Amino acid sequence: MTATGSAPTVSSRQRYRRLLFGSIGVGVIANVALRIASYPIAAEAVYWLGIVVALAAWRFSPVTLFDERDDALERRASQITLVVMAVVLVLGASGSRTLAALGVYEGSPFVAGALYGYVAMAVVFALALAWTARGR
Amino acid sequence: MNNDVRARREERGLSQAGLAEAVGVTRQTINSIERGRYDPSLELAFALADFFECRIEDLFHPDGDE
Repeated sequence: MTATGSAPTVSSRQRYRRLLFGSIGVGVIANVALRIASYPIAAEAVYWLGIVVALAAWRFSPVTLFDERDDALERRASQITLVVMAVVLVLGASGSRTLAALGVYEGSPFVAGALYGYVAMAVVFALALAWTARGR
Repeated sequence: MNNDVRARREERGLSQAGLAEAVGVTRQTINSIERGRYDPSLELAFALADFFECRIEDLFHPDGDE
């Protein structure tokens, strides 16, 4: 272990992480730009190119791209997301039902779709939790 | 949890990147540990103690302890 110089693993990790996130970002931005310019097929092609490059960067990186702190941050962000999702689902579902019953506001298909999406996410979470809890 | 990671790292003239490389984590993780913003896993705490050739309890202290 030397005391000087940049560590190769650290710089490699930064480079591959930049490639991973950068390719997704470029793919998404190019996708939106091409769709606006009425090139839908090219938009999807460039989007998938970004995804493939990101997967390749993740899969073939010679270094570990994420460590335990990244995992801890992800866990914390997931917990916050779940709490926000639960609050929006509970309030949104009850609120839309109440407003509909009172004849004040009939929820649009968009709102109903969003709420069903949240329900689906909650179900997926419950299944994932049950699956990860097996044998632990 | 308090720790002496920064002091021991600087004693050895190591950069955060160098220590990160030695124990297999990111520089940001070392930075967060030194600033007390992230408590490492037991595995990483052992790796750090092993690297500094000391006991975990010499490197990490409960809040309030020096």
